[in-house]
Formats: sequence, C-alpha cells, structure tokens
Amino acid sequence: MFFQIEAAALVPPSRLQQYNSLLSVCGLKNENDADYTALLFDGDKLVACGSLKGNILKQIAVDKEAEGSGACASIVSTLITEAYARGFSHLFLFTKPEHERLFTSLGFFSVCKTDKALMMENNRNGVNSFINGIPKYSGNNGCVICNCDPMTRGHLHLIKYAASHCDHLYVFVVSENGSMFPPHVRYTFVKNAVASLENVSVHQSGAYIISKATFPTYFIRSDSAAEDAWMDIDITIFAQSIAPALGINKRFVGEEPFSVVTNKYNQRMKELLAKFGIELIEIPRLDSISASKVRKLLADGDVDGIQPLVNDEVYAYCKDRA
Amino acid sequence: MHIKQIGIAGTMESSDIMIRIEPKETKGIDLHLSSSVMQQFGKQIEHIIQSTLEELDVDAACVTATDKGALDCTVRARVETAAHRAAGSDQYVWRTKQ
Repeated sequence: MFFQIEAAALVPPSRLQQYNSLLSVCGLKNENDADYTALLFDGDKLVACGSLKGNILKQIAVDKEAEGSGACASIVSTLITEAYARGFSHLFLFTKPEHERLFTSLGFFSVCKTDKALMMENNRNGVNSFINGIPKYSGNNGCVICNCDPMTRGHLHLIKYAASHCDHLYVFVVSENGSMFPPHVRYTFVKNAVASLENVSVHQSGAYIISKATFPTYFIRSDSAAEDAWMDIDITIFAQSIAPALGINKRFVGEEPFSVVTNKYNQRMKELLAKFGIELIEIPRLDSISASKVRKLLADGDVDGIQPLVNDEVYAYCKDRA
Repeated sequence: MHIKQIGIAGTMESSDIMIRIEPKETKGIDLHLSSSVMQQFGKQIEHIIQSTLEELDVDAACVTATDKGALDCTVRARVETAAHRAAGSDQYVWRTKQ
C-alpha cells in the first residue's frame, strides 16, 4: 500500500464528501472547527483523517480496511509535527477506552479513563507537574472551582462560606480563554477580592480542570452522552489526582437553578465525588445573583445595572470599558 | 549543548522514531522509550540515544522516544536533530568519512 498525505487548514471542497462519510462510518461527526486537517489517501480513496484544534488532536478516524497499516501513525505524526510548528507542545486527545493501546504506541499517556471515555496527553507526568506547582496546605481542605466571568457578589459569598468551613480553601479560576472576560482579568478580580481571607489561595485551573481539552463532544453521536463523558472525565481527574494531593475533601458549589447543564453537572459531581470520599456542598445562591445576568446586562449596555451584583473593582473595570 | 526548549524530530511511521527532548532542571538524562521492538532492541536503542546525547554534551534533558523499528543511523540522526532544535542551535558538526 502506498499512502499519500494531504494536509491543510481546511478540507478542500472536492474532498469534503469523502471526509464526512469516513467520519460518520467511525461514529464521529465533522464539527467544522478544526485549525488543521490531515487526510491520508490510498490512490483516490480516503483511508484516514485527523485534525488539530489548538493543542487538541481530534476527529481521528481510520477506515476499517486500513487498520494496522500504519495509517493512524501517519496521521498522528503529521498532526504532532504541525502542532509543534504552531507552538503547541503539550497535546491532548480524547478517544474511546478501547483505543488506549493504539495511542500509547503513538507516544500518548493516559490522564484519566472512565468506562466511556479516555483522555490522553503527550506528557508523561502532566498532572503531577501541575500539582507540584501548587503550594500544599495541611488539614481538611476545601475547593471552589469557578469561571467567574466576571466575579459577582455571589461568588464572593460562596468563597467566604467555603473558607469558614475548611482549614484551607483552594480557589481555581478557569484559565481557558473564550469567556467574555479574559482569563487574567477574571483571575485578578478573584485574587484581589479574597486577599483579606487568610486561609484562601487562588490558582489558575490549568489544563486539567474544566479546560477545552476536556470537551469531547465529538466522539459520541448523541450530544447528551458526550456531555456525560465530559463531566465524568473532568470530575474523575479532580477526585482521583488533584483532590488527594492537596488534601481536599470538600468541594463547594453554588446552587444552579438556572442552567440545566450545570445543575446536571452538580448532581453528577455529588454521585461521583462521594465514591472518592469527597463531600459536595451546595449552597443557595445569594439573592439569585449570577454571572450570566451580569453578562446579559453588559451586552444590553446597562453598566449601571450590574453595580448591585458585583464589587467595586469589577464595576469600575466595566464602567471604564463601557 | 544546553537544552532550553522542547525540540522534536522524526515521525511515528514504520522504520522511524519520534524524539522529543525537553529541558530538565537537574543533571542527568531522563529517558523514556517505547518501541515496537522493545523486547529485541530496547536496550540497544536506549544506548544509542544516551551516547548520541553524550557526544553532543547534553547533560540535562528529558527525552521521550517513540520508536517504530528505526535503524541505528536513523535513531542517531533523529536525536541529533531534536537536540539541536531543543538547544536552538544550528551549529551542526557533520561527521566526515575517515
């Protein structure tokens, strides 16, 4: 067999039909959000494909007949080389657990495995080096993970409550880009707001807590099943690797009466965390304040409307940019 | 040669090897090899990687190698290239036939 590789930012229109049909045979779908796609041909026949989205390898599919011919290695090599050229060296991929051996042979290491999904990375000790970078506090510790887009009085209420119910509180602010407020701004708001609380430390959530690398909506047909797979991976990494290393046995969340998805996430957390001996503590929202309400007011141009919902620093920031 | 960034070279195609070299704070070479011919040639490949790095005066690095049955000369070439990339150096010393 003689294979030829074609790679480009976009799949050429002439190849699109073949591409979509290979994906669908393999139970995937074209999400149309790739930065770069590699296609492998045997003559005119498309036998394998794979894409890059940021530092994530995705939509990797191999025709049944080409399995075992090195087609996958060829695709993955092309993607890795391109990723490095683009400045990404820490790479992730999501797959089904049955493909663990295949990707292990291609230089990937398992980060977390559930019965439905497997998350892998090309770093041998990725999670451990993330954990090593976080200062350790002894005692019975708690954890709050939030996007804080932007931080509201509700977030502050949750953090204060949590801090008074554990020895030390780790606050992780989601460091992924893609929210209304940039990551460093969200982080700084939280850091400044809790500066007076002695037993609270604020950290960037990094690659292993609610990151884009943990959104595998592509490899399971139904979106709701994919959501479950994502939730389970995210919660399992936290419960299995991060919480024990930091002495965390309580995770605090705000009640979620507004978003069905987040509410489901909280429910799933309650079930899964309990298996690892971690208690989920859900507290009622303060005056039903939510960050989405703040974002909506800002989108509508009502900067003054957010004043009762946020602290002075956030208000001043928004006012400046209005 | 001082390793100051991540450098990679090679592919994971049959008969090739992919080498990834990263900076390491403490002295020593931390080598992790996986190979499709681990049982037969694992020790030999590790030895080639180590000795190539030694010749280049690399004394601190994390090396991850994914081998697909590369010949010794291929292993050597990929390690040299990855090391130069990781050191940001283009001072290649080409071996000449004696």
